[in-house]
Parts: sequence; structure tokens; C-alpha cells
Amino acid sequence: MVTKTEETQLNRLEGQVENGGGGAWDYLCFVRKLKVRRSDKVLKYGLSILNDPKKRSSLGPEEWTLYEQVAIAAMDCQCLDVAKDCINVLQKRFPESKRVGRLEGMLLEAKGSWTEAEKAYLSLLEDNPLDQVIHKRRVALAKAQGNMSEAIEFINKYLEIFMADSDTWRELAEIYVSLQMYKQAAFCYEELILAQPTVPLYHLAYADVLYTLGGLENLQAAKKYYSSAIELTGGKNTRALFGICLCTSAIAQLTKGRNKEEKDSPDLQSLATAALEKDYKQRASDKVSVLGSALKSLKVSS
Amino acid sequence: MAGGELKYDMSQNAYIKLVLHALKHRSSAVNGVLLGRSNDDVVEIADSVPLFHNHLGLLPPLEISLIMIEEYYIAQGLGIVGYFHANERFDDAELDNVAKNIGDHIYRYFPQAAILLLDNKKIEALPKGKDRSPVMQLYTRDASKNWKLAGSDGGSRLILKEPAANIVLLDFISSQKWQDVVDFDDHLDDITKDWLNPDLFK
Repeated sequence: MVTKTEETQLNRLEGQVENGGGGAWDYLCFVRKLKVRRSDKVLKYGLSILNDPKKRSSLGPEEWTLYEQVAIAAMDCQCLDVAKDCINVLQKRFPESKRVGRLEGMLLEAKGSWTEAEKAYLSLLEDNPLDQVIHKRRVALAKAQGNMSEAIEFINKYLEIFMADSDTWRELAEIYVSLQMYKQAAFCYEELILAQPTVPLYHLAYADVLYTLGGLENLQAAKKYYSSAIELTGGKNTRALFGICLCTSAIAQLTKGRNKEEKDSPDLQSLATAALEKDYKQRASDKVSVLGSALKSLKVSS
Repeated sequence: MAGGELKYDMSQNAYIKLVLHALKHRSSAVNGVLLGRSNDDVVEIADSVPLFHNHLGLLPPLEISLIMIEEYYIAQGLGIVGYFHANERFDDAELDNVAKNIGDHIYRYFPQAAILLLDNKKIEALPKGKDRSPVMQLYTRDASKNWKLAGSDGGSRLILKEPAANIVLLDFISSQKWQDVVDFDDHLDDITKDWLNPDLFK
């Protein structure tokens, strides 16, 4: 994940390059390091270096890294000729390379030649069954064809081998959410919370999935995970604060007319409401009245 | 059903805002809501609010956004009259279940509700042609409660109020205005970002 400081730094660097202030190479390195997707910029500034023999040779062995980076960016921008040129240069320099083979597979993907791309990946996997990137490409290939059940199958196979890969668990959770398979998504977030218990994002996403599933037990659990997300962020998570209000309201609706003792901690909602009101007053004062009536409508319905 | 005659009249700003939102997040599915009112056999779509570009299938952010949007627009006499959706993949022209479910929810409160699905092929062709029709497809709910593509018979029921809307849209695209669109996801991450996008059309 990219932190706020890193993003600011990246944007500053991008602005500098854009306004002719130089630093294109530093920018490209930073994009690689953060693994962000800024394909149009990478293509533009990467090519400006590659097309200038002086600048290019000053990179030394890093030249080949840049060819690879530009090839991938070009495919993302549908500039397939540029991608092909870059890959050809790499192919000449590293004739037997698997890494170049991967790029060739990706070029087939970009062209929409699904079957051939799949063939290329399968043959690469034969040589190295544990190539994580190729496994992920196959998932992407299934997704690109809209074949979600195959994508899920591939990810699950991958996770049997690389079960500590939290990004892939997240990907799987997101696919399940998009297919409205919330129970399966919940399982993924449980895995993520077990593996990294202090990441508030996972607590929040888990709570959102539980709330979506509905039912008293899930709502009560959702409320707990919103609370932990709030705790882990020092009370600074707007989504979790809203989540508390939604849960309280939904729980009250479900338990209407039941024993009073089930209404646990009504003050949790007042605390969340107060935190939201304070934050909006300070940072989004023009939305305070909308927030007020929204929170009120949640209370009235409870 | 009289719904067959129903027309949807969309304002330029509501239209452009939604398309720009989809262009800002090209690699993910996005959605939004339509605000307006109904007069006899015309539903007027006066404004729109871009909603999300992540986790479209989760309820909590959706519920919060709908409540706040309703509370804001009720003062202007406008209500939620429909839903906008753009798919993740370029060549996917199907309306998915998340979109249908959200549409169903809106339908319960506003029976003339529409779902608009972004038409990627039309967007791509926009700079080349002189097409004045919206780059969206209209879906309405039929008597058997299914969402059906409307206007395939040629007579389009989704109309842009300003005939030059696509020209203005192209202008916005070429000046990369999509970078400035704020959606509800952005707002929930940082509440200083305003989902009303007050500066977009200045």
C-alpha cells in the first residue's frame, strides 16, 4: 500500500517532470518502487529516455529494466507497437529469458489472443511451477474474459501454495464482493485479520461485509469490528464511525419490542455521532446540516 | 403499462459528471445516482452524484451516501430517480446483479426509476462521429420485474436536454477534466472532498 507521504512525493515529482524540471528517471524508479499504475506518464517519460541514446546509455544495466517498464505501460495504453519494439530489444539481449517470455505472453493478452496467451503461460509454468507472477497473469486472463469462476478457481489454487500473500486474499475478497458472495468474502477477511491483526482496513472491510450479510448476530459482530477499526485509527475513520450508526440503527430495528437488556451500549452511537459532527464542523462545515439530518433519520428509524 | 411512453430527459451537467467519473476510474466499475423529478410522462434528470469506484457490492457506504444525498436534494424538490453504472471491463455490456439490486431498491421508492449503463463502444466512437445521442443505455423495469434494455426499437427514450452535450463532453475529456471529479468514496476517505462537485462546471 502507498502511504500519504509517498503519494505526495510521487505527485510532486510527477509535476516537476511534467513542467520540464527534469527527474524523469527518478520518477520512473519511484513508480516502480511503489508499484503504482501511471501508465500514460511512464510511457511518455520512459520513451523520452529510451529515444535519446545519450540518456539511455547513461543508465547502464538499468536500461533493460526501463525497457520492461515501458513495455508494460505501453500495453496498458494499447500502444502495442511500442510494446513490441521494447520486447524485441529485450528478446535480442536475453534470448532465453523467462522474464521476457512473460512479457511476450502479456503482449498476446493485450492483443486479446486469449488462447495463445494461456498457452504461453502454461509452458512457462511447466519450466517453473512456482512463478507467482505467471499464476497471477492467468487469473488476470480469466478476469479479462469475464470468466469469474475460473479466476476464483485459479486464485484458490494459488493460495493453497502461497497462503501468506495478503494482496491475493484481498483480490479474492473483492471478487466475491462483486459477485455478492458475501460469506466467502467474509472468510477472506477473517484470514487477513488473522494474518495482520493491526491493519484497520481489514477490520473495516470485514465489518462492511458482515453488515451487508445482515441478521442480528452479523450486525453485532460488525459493530465490534467497526469499533476495532476506530480504535486502530485513533478515532479517525469516517467509514467506521458511520458504520457504528448504521449498525445501532439496524440492531434496534431488529430487537424492537424485545428485552431492553439486549440494547447494549447506546452511548457507542452517541460517541460516534459526536465524533462525526465534530469532524464535519471542522473540515466540511457546509455539510454539517446534511449530516445532522442524516444521523437524525437513522435515530428516528431505530 | 404506461411506462412504455415514459421519457427520461437528462441535463448536460448530470450527464457529463457521470461519464467523467467513469473515465477517472477506467480500470474499475463505478456507479452513481440520478436526481430529479417526474412530470406526467417525463422524468427529468436534473443532477447526479458519483458514488463509488471500489467495492460496489457493499451496503454500508451505499446506505450512508443515499441518506445524505436524499437529505441534501430534498430541499431543492429533487429525489433519487435512478442509478448509473459502468462496468469494469470494456467489452462487458451486461447489467450485473449489483446494479440490478440497487435499481430494485430505488424502484421501491420511485417506480419510474431508470438504470443507465455506460456504453463503452459509444464513448470510444465519440471523437470520430457526430453522434448526439447519450453514451449510455437505458434500462427500465418491465411488468415481470426484470430490468430490460429500452429503446432498442430506435425511438430513444433517453434524451439529452442540451443537444450539444456530447460536444461539451468531448471538450471536458480533452482538457482532462475527469481528474477533478469527486465521488462519495473520496468523500468518505477525506470529508473535505465534496461529492457535489461544485467547481467542476465553473
